[in-house]
Amino acid sequence: MPASEPVRLGRKRVLPACPNPLFLRWLTELRDEAREKGLKTQYTYQKALSSLNKYPLPLRNAKEAKILQNFGDGICKILDEKLQRYHQENGADAQIQSVSSAAPPAGRADNNSVAPSRKKNSAGDGGKDRAPDGKKKRREYVPQKRSGGHAVLLTLYRQSQIPDSKGFMFKLELQAEAQPLCDKSFTVPDLGSKYTAWTSVSTLIQKNLLIKTHNPARYSLTEEGLALAERLAAAERQTTEEEEEEEEGPGVVDLTGSDDGEGEEDRTHPTGSAAGQQSSDTDASCSSEKPQSSQTTSRHQGGGCLLPGTYEIILCVDFIETTGGSNHRKQELVKELQRNRVNFDIRKLNVGDFLWVAREKVTPVPGQLRVPAGRELVLDYIIERKRMDDLCGSIIDGRFREQKFRLKRCGLHRPVYLVEEHGTAASHLSLPEATLQQAIVNTQVVDGFFVKRVQDVRESAAYLTIMTRYLNKVYQNRTLSCRSRELEGDVCGAEEERGVPSCSLISFAEFNHGAVKNKCQTVREVFARQLMQISGLSGDKAAAILEHYSTPHSLMAAYERCASEAEKEKLLASVRYGKLKRNVGPALSRTVYQLYCTQGPLS
Amino acid sequence: MSLLRRAKTWEISDSEGSDAETKPDLNPEVATETKEDQSSGDQNRSVLPAAAGRQSAPSLSPPRPQGSGTPSPTRKRRTKEEIEADRQKAKERKEERERQRAARVQEKEERREAAERLKSLRPENCLKCLTVRLDPALLQQDGSDILLDTLAAFEWRFSIESQQLSHSITWTRDLPQQGEDVSVEEEQVVLVLGLADFMDMVISVKRMLDSEGEETERGSFLSPLLECLNRDAQKVVTLLVIESNYSINACGEHPRDEMLQSKLGMKNVDIEEVLVYLQLCKNISLVFLDGWQDVTDHVCAVTKALSKRPFKLLTERAELPFCVDGSWASGVRVERDGSGLVEVWSKQIQQLNRVSPAVASAVTASYPSPQLLLQAYQSLASEEERKGLLAGLLVKSGGKERRIGPEISARVYRCVTAQNPQLVLD
Repeated sequence: MPASEPVRLGRKRVLPACPNPLFLRWLTELRDEAREKGLKTQYTYQKALSSLNKYPLPLRNAKEAKILQNFGDGICKILDEKLQRYHQENGADAQIQSVSSAAPPAGRADNNSVAPSRKKNSAGDGGKDRAPDGKKKRREYVPQKRSGGHAVLLTLYRQSQIPDSKGFMFKLELQAEAQPLCDKSFTVPDLGSKYTAWTSVSTLIQKNLLIKTHNPARYSLTEEGLALAERLAAAERQTTEEEEEEEEGPGVVDLTGSDDGEGEEDRTHPTGSAAGQQSSDTDASCSSEKPQSSQTTSRHQGGGCLLPGTYEIILCVDFIETTGGSNHRKQELVKELQRNRVNFDIRKLNVGDFLWVAREKVTPVPGQLRVPAGRELVLDYIIERKRMDDLCGSIIDGRFREQKFRLKRCGLHRPVYLVEEHGTAASHLSLPEATLQQAIVNTQVVDGFFVKRVQDVRESAAYLTIMTRYLNKVYQNRTLSCRSRELEGDVCGAEEERGVPSCSLISFAEFNHGAVKNKCQTVREVFARQLMQISGLSGDKAAAILEHYSTPHSLMAAYERCASEAEKEKLLASVRYGKLKRNVGPALSRTVYQLYCTQGPLS
Repeated sequence: MSLLRRAKTWEISDSEGSDAETKPDLNPEVATETKEDQSSGDQNRSVLPAAAGRQSAPSLSPPRPQGSGTPSPTRKRRTKEEIEADRQKAKERKEERERQRAARVQEKEERREAAERLKSLRPENCLKCLTVRLDPALLQQDGSDILLDTLAAFEWRFSIESQQLSHSITWTRDLPQQGEDVSVEEEQVVLVLGLADFMDMVISVKRMLDSEGEETERGSFLSPLLECLNRDAQKVVTLLVIESNYSINACGEHPRDEMLQSKLGMKNVDIEEVLVYLQLCKNISLVFLDGWQDVTDHVCAVTKALSKRPFKLLTERAELPFCVDGSWASGVRVERDGSGLVEVWSKQIQQLNRVSPAVASAVTASYPSPQLLLQAYQSLASEEERKGLLAGLLVKSGGKERRIGPEISARVYRCVTAQNPQLVLD
């Protein structure tokens, strides 16, 4: 059991208890989120956090917090919204301060193993608020029924029970399977919120219930997660049965009828043994309820096809191409596209500057303010635009190769390099023109990109306009199907005939997610990059070392197994690397040894 | 073989004088004995085994066909079993040595071959295998001499022969590994056109597009081009259009535009439409050039790119999931005495996403080596505490102080201690 994990009310245990853990938690989340996105607001949240930390009294609502330094209207409003939602979910009388009156004794026995180095709150406890401090708060985390976390655990559990299952699930797969079990959408945030049901996955990872590995990410249950999911599944079966008995009706199983949270949690606790025996008939009931709900979600998850006429082709422009820069040339492109009446959309593209999506046409649903999000599939073309001076700069700082590397792996098979030559401007750059021309030709010949040369931004816009029109025409009578890179891998586009556009496309969401730079670092990848920080330790040497020791931990363990210092020093010397299988050599081996085995400070 | 080897490791490595890595022997008696064994194995093989005799050996030791062949009993201090065992060992050692020698030779051979193969892929060697093939029609054009002169000056191989596509340049590459006279055609095709010819082609394509696939007059350049692509769809055609005969007129208008307007009232949009069609359906790209000097430069650039390609493709097939080029990968110079390592350590921490140099130096200031960080982790009892070890460290950046925070702290912890290489840190 996740002995070391705090309750939902708790916060990561680095600071002495704050009397307002919920606010603290939300602010921390807000800050971390802002930081991940590189937003300046992270500092605002950080300031508010520090004031909150200093404030010794419990706050009843966010308005009270306004007296604190660095708490403005904005933060108070966000906190109030969160608080309201919290009350909705947990009942109006749920405590928000450092209280855990509801903490069940159940968690206790398991939590003994951890002795948090927290001082027993001897002074001024007495009150029921403080007394249960240390251990009681470590109540086990059980996600609410029909919440994102609950659905994800159940789905992974069910998957793990299938014989010969691969033992993990990809994101899209998991979302699609879990959606019927969850009220909230995994992909579209509720109105006025940034969070989807998927947000709870990070909580599950934090609670050590879920493990995320590989890139593209694979999700699987930890041992703790498996145990919890097993119980959730057992409880699920029971409730399903109870409700069936109650209703007896025309077989409409409505699982959404979740009422109070208290009762829910009680139901999730029965031991699996009794429920396990009933599995045979409950499985049937599960499967009978599944298809209908999965049908409705599959529309959003990208299953099925887009028929001719049900979608339109839209040019997507990376927002970097439209904003920033003191000069107006970036605005010029957008203006030019507008003038040409191009159907385009500005958004953040994680790779490339322009691409096209086939977007499903959606009509507003009567009675709903919001138009449902239409599906979007990415066409196979992606354009990187480069002015000659950009090209020159990117060759010098290495972005040129890096960008091409990423373009080649983005999953779209027809990369286009759009070069704006600007007449003779190239002759005044810091690289000779011959070098730049060679780089462009290399891009075509070596990298296999299509190279489109234009003179200026106006011609670029004209090109994009015509491309958009042409693609619209070409895709007029095509039925598109969605394929997933995660599930099916990359198919090489070589077999498709020239002139026949590819109709098996990946969703925009998957494409853009997969192209995030610096996302989803695995331990192995970081270790490789770390090794390469030593001068002379090239990529192929790092890869060779990784063959033997794929984590810092395994390298350290190998050093520990060595009998002598001399042996440690030579540990990597005879590792063979590269095409020629050369030895890494004693000098480099020694340097790595010095780095990882020096007991004192490094110099 | 490996099993056998493991059982006898020390003996083998001892007798293997060349093996520099083995430690000096601590037991002189054993050492001398092995030496003796060795010599007996090598020279007196026919005499010594005799001691094994017939009487007991067959029943005690595994049957050795050669061993029982020489029955001349000589008196010896050692028992027959011992001698038999020694003989056996010596023989195994010898076989082992031979196997190793053979393996080494074979490995050397393989590595030499691999090196050779790699060497032949080097751009400078690849260049020697390339032949630039020029269509004779090109050489009738004024100014085309410069192309021939340049190719000759570079000492590149070229040939003048009729190409499938008139006015085109293609490349072939010899494959010396696969025998004499084996060569492949590269997929790049360059077609050199004058502006007028190009305009004819544009008009033909436009007509073709407007007629929605009906058979139309395709013009003298378009139809062989389309035929060529029909034969081999993998060809990548680049149109080099020379517009040297026209100079930009007073109002700065491009000669192309002028010419278009004069011909059937075609507009820029029309030509762009044709180009997009050629791109999307035929993978044909277009370069406008000023004259034969530019054509020559382009042809040279393509030749160089082709010569670089095999090697680049080979080295590019990376085992690592990221681009190994870039400023981040340059590495920190480390002296023999280990100075510079502290910078390496700091840069290592920066390899985690969203870890700034300031954050990294806060970590390395408190834990100036990986070992010290590990020791700190080991001294903490709970996972929770270890995850949060670095969270409270203060980071100074831009005159402000902030904490490292739990998220980065936990990531550093997991990176250093995780046993699953595929664990995702973010």
